[in-house]
Amino acid sequence: MANFIPAGDGGHTGWRAAVQKLGGNLAGMVIPNIGAFIAWGLLTALFIPTGWLPNEELSSMVGPMIINLLPILIGYTGGRLVHGQRGAVIGAVATVGVIVGASIPMFLGAMIVGPLAAWVLKKIDGVLDPITPPGFEMLIGNFSLGIAGLLLAIVSFLGIGPVVNAFSDALGAGVKVMVDTGLLPLASILVEPAKILFLNNAINHGVLAPIGVVQAEETGKSIMFMLETNPGPGLGILLAFWLAGNSVLRGSAPGAIVIHFLGGIHEIYFPYVLLRPVLVLAAIAGGATGVATFLVTGVGLVATPSPGSIFAYLAVTPPGAHFGVLLGIALSAAVSFLVAWVILKATKSADDDLDAAKAKSKAMKTGAAE
Amino acid sequence: MASISGADVKHVVVACEAGMGSSVMLAKMLAKQLKDQNVSVTHSPVNQLAETDHDVVVCHRGLSARAKQAVPNSPVIIFDMFLGDMRIAQLVNEIQTGSEISDD
Repeated sequence: MANFIPAGDGGHTGWRAAVQKLGGNLAGMVIPNIGAFIAWGLLTALFIPTGWLPNEELSSMVGPMIINLLPILIGYTGGRLVHGQRGAVIGAVATVGVIVGASIPMFLGAMIVGPLAAWVLKKIDGVLDPITPPGFEMLIGNFSLGIAGLLLAIVSFLGIGPVVNAFSDALGAGVKVMVDTGLLPLASILVEPAKILFLNNAINHGVLAPIGVVQAEETGKSIMFMLETNPGPGLGILLAFWLAGNSVLRGSAPGAIVIHFLGGIHEIYFPYVLLRPVLVLAAIAGGATGVATFLVTGVGLVATPSPGSIFAYLAVTPPGAHFGVLLGIALSAAVSFLVAWVILKATKSADDDLDAAKAKSKAMKTGAAE
Repeated sequence: MASISGADVKHVVVACEAGMGSSVMLAKMLAKQLKDQNVSVTHSPVNQLAETDHDVVVCHRGLSARAKQAVPNSPVIIFDMFLGDMRIAQLVNEIQTGSEISDD
């Protein structure tokens, strides 16, 4: 875990492993903190003026949590990944620099500054540790962290914050154009195949959710939380396997449906698609249908539903949006089911043998991964 | 090519991307099957495998390149399906009968 800065770790395992690794690090900063996101999401869903139980006093916690607490937690966790507890502390300190320098929830900034600050401290410790006289460890350790933290917070405030702010603004403007022009469903063409390649967490927590929280903070909801997390397309594919798959896969499909749709572990359906890669078309069709439905009905979620279970969806759906949200999930499941069913029926006689399919996908994947 | 005798396996770690979702599920299922062998099954993010105490690593094919990179000297068992995978059944059998477990 020492190599968050993705240079020079000598990996020869191809672009996919490299992208996964970077994405894994992004997700690794966010996912341990999902509980705090849920607390914030529920607080928002309940107490903001458009929530279930509008309450001005209690809703005053919403802002500080999203602006301060969540980015600091991300910076803290990112620092810990690089340099243990000391890295966590300096990551949190430096994150304050990007938070104060910005007008939006600084998730991206925290993801950069937290690990970076920890990496700098690691280098400093590497120099100071060997020359620290016995008995001076605590003095030098505390002050090296304190002084480096001060400097890194200043650098973050003056340098990194404004850059990330400008980048986020550009990203947000790009997304707004896609929403306004109705092109957002096309995002599924990228999102769904990337999910199958186990980039699901990287895409959702690393890219989409940071854009989403900015929108949610301004308008109380965001569609960005729904692009990757919609359990509909996976449900449709698993249903198709249950009804039209070969006998071996048919048996495991009902259990997979429960784990996927109710438990929210989307990973469980990726292997089914990898066995018949052409099924990614079903995932794309279903995903695009869902996004289009969410767009037309004008719905969004207040926070990222994690894991992507139907229960998590219902928990972060704001009042009045249930119809659009459930309709989008149902339609995306129906469309991906139909496409997957047709594909499975059409290709069934060709390779009903599981081992043949497995060997094929194995060759395909090792080819891609090495 | 790393290998180990099934009888010597005391700790199995299941890796996934975040170490909090699919790996936890599979680790629970494996732990249940290996209860009588006194084998502990834990879970970890694939990026932090090097810091775990393990005899055998289990992970999905999609992440196997990174698992091998993280722990090049450990046997890495690669599976395709989260439910009903033959390789997982084989691993359980190898541990139960104490036969040789080798890398995929």
